[in-house]
Amino acid sequence: MKLVWKLLRRHISLPQLAGFFLANLLGMLIVLLSLQFYRDVKPIFSEEDGFIRPDYLILCKRISALNTIGLGSVSTFSQKEMNDLKAQPFAKNVGAFTASQYKVACSMGINGVAQFGTEMFFESVPDAFVDVDLSKWHFNEGDDVVPIILPRTYLAIYNFGFAQSQNLPKISEGVVGMVEMTIMMRGNGLNEYIKGRVIGFSTRLNTILVPESFIRWSNARYAPEADTEPSRIILEVKNPADDAIVNYINEKGYEMEDDKLDAGRMTFFLRLVSGIVMLVGLLISMLSFYILMLSIYLLVEKNTEKMRTLLLIGYSPARVALPYQLLTIGMNATVLLLAIGGLCLLRSLYMQQLWSVFPQMQDGSILPAVLLGIVLFAIVSLANALVIRRRINIIWNNK
Amino acid sequence: MNAITLDNTLPQVFLQRTDIKSDIWRRQVTIERGKTYLIEASSGIGKSSLCSFIIGYRRDFDGRILFDDKDSHELKTADWTLLRQRHISLLFQELRLFPELTALENVEIKNSLTHFKTSKEIEAWFEALGIADKMQSPVRLMSFGQQQRVAMIRALVQPFDFLLADEPISHLDEANSQTMADIMTKEARRQGAGIIITSIGKHMTLPYDKTFSL
Repeated sequence: MKLVWKLLRRHISLPQLAGFFLANLLGMLIVLLSLQFYRDVKPIFSEEDGFIRPDYLILCKRISALNTIGLGSVSTFSQKEMNDLKAQPFAKNVGAFTASQYKVACSMGINGVAQFGTEMFFESVPDAFVDVDLSKWHFNEGDDVVPIILPRTYLAIYNFGFAQSQNLPKISEGVVGMVEMTIMMRGNGLNEYIKGRVIGFSTRLNTILVPESFIRWSNARYAPEADTEPSRIILEVKNPADDAIVNYINEKGYEMEDDKLDAGRMTFFLRLVSGIVMLVGLLISMLSFYILMLSIYLLVEKNTEKMRTLLLIGYSPARVALPYQLLTIGMNATVLLLAIGGLCLLRSLYMQQLWSVFPQMQDGSILPAVLLGIVLFAIVSLANALVIRRRINIIWNNK
Repeated sequence: MNAITLDNTLPQVFLQRTDIKSDIWRRQVTIERGKTYLIEASSGIGKSSLCSFIIGYRRDFDGRILFDDKDSHELKTADWTLLRQRHISLLFQELRLFPELTALENVEIKNSLTHFKTSKEIEAWFEALGIADKMQSPVRLMSFGQQQRVAMIRALVQPFDFLLADEPISHLDEANSQTMADIMTKEARRQGAGIIITSIGKHMTLPYDKTFSL
């Protein structure tokens, strides 16, 4: 093997191999980094992971001055309007926000010592629209604790707006879950208390959310007479970039909560940009593969006679191909390791920046990017090995 | 392998020719293990082609070549590799040494594949053929006669049933060609192998069982 290598390493062009090596490294690094960056940044826009995140819009009716003085058209959605919306081709699912129809007051404290209290309201949406872990998200009549979901922006406002200026400690999502709330509900001649616990924060739903079963039970108990037509609805769409959505909403005179669509747009652009960057990386990888193949072709061409003699004195084609196969696989493996190393380094740089802006961000795994790297390595190495073997077979067949 | 049979064999380039008078082409010839053959030919009559056909380097011939009962056309890549490693050794007319390797490395590149001879045995051959002092020299700096002897040693570091030597002594003097003949015969006897020598004039002095005129 040593002697065979001594023979076949002649005519190896270092500049060509270095060119391949750098180009392949660059391509691989760009591909891995684009995937990793996409995965790291995406949770900032959405709690859910994966490429096919459904997109949600929240709709309400336009409030005019006439509504304020009670003369305008109704500001709630009728069942007919909801069915019409659901029948649109762009709509995937429609859910109503149901609001509490009675008075709600809440006081918060730690260890039973009330810290502050406020009047407030509850809303609910069907469970399918809730973007928080649903394992604690249930309420049955008779339970003495009701789970609550708050908008993530509340926490951000507290942490960055309030706590920072007042020298108060910043709090994490976990700490909020430990705070006990006492909720007072009044209506229909009743005045009762229940405990509340924050189980999560929603990016999608900008309201104080309780389970639908709780709203149904409490509305029936404290406000049996009230009308419960929803004033806001949540719409899951197939493709947020669809023009038909905006046209329909304008035509019906509905309004859209813009930031939700912005988040959708941001995710869309993030996906688009990551996709383009990844494509560029793949293109560079493919070009580097092409450089390597050209280099190997030249090498085999220049060493054809030697390889033919090796075959004639009893070396098998597999053994003659092996040195070049090991050379390319070795280089590909080095490229993979360096690319993963580079990925970790660059990631630690941008993650520091992201953490300083979004401290609640979870540290994701680099496993998918590493797996992608291994898959690329395997494909490229296999293709290299096959092409080399095919060249040797051509020599064997004396063509 | 006990016999190589040439059954009505003819190089395809000769298909149009009608004036071929040969003991081998277009005839049924069996070459047996353990015997010694001389094939005499003038140049351009297909002597090296015959060697290429037998070793599987070229397949452009009519008729059949049989190894025992097996048709050479049916051999797969792995069969040919095994045949070249274990059954037929060819001493190429054009030698096919690797110019960038030393004389010893040229032999070792084959021996590392077959693990057939010890370095002591190889050194003894270099000694006997008078090129022991050239063992570490690059083969490209040696004369053609010296290279012929290196190629001979390389042809011997493998097990074989037949040794095919294509003009082995074209550039050797009488004394060296006799030494080479002795070494070759001794190794072939030891292995019970057949020897086939081709020549276009000067040929090794050996007790030939049969002489063919190609």
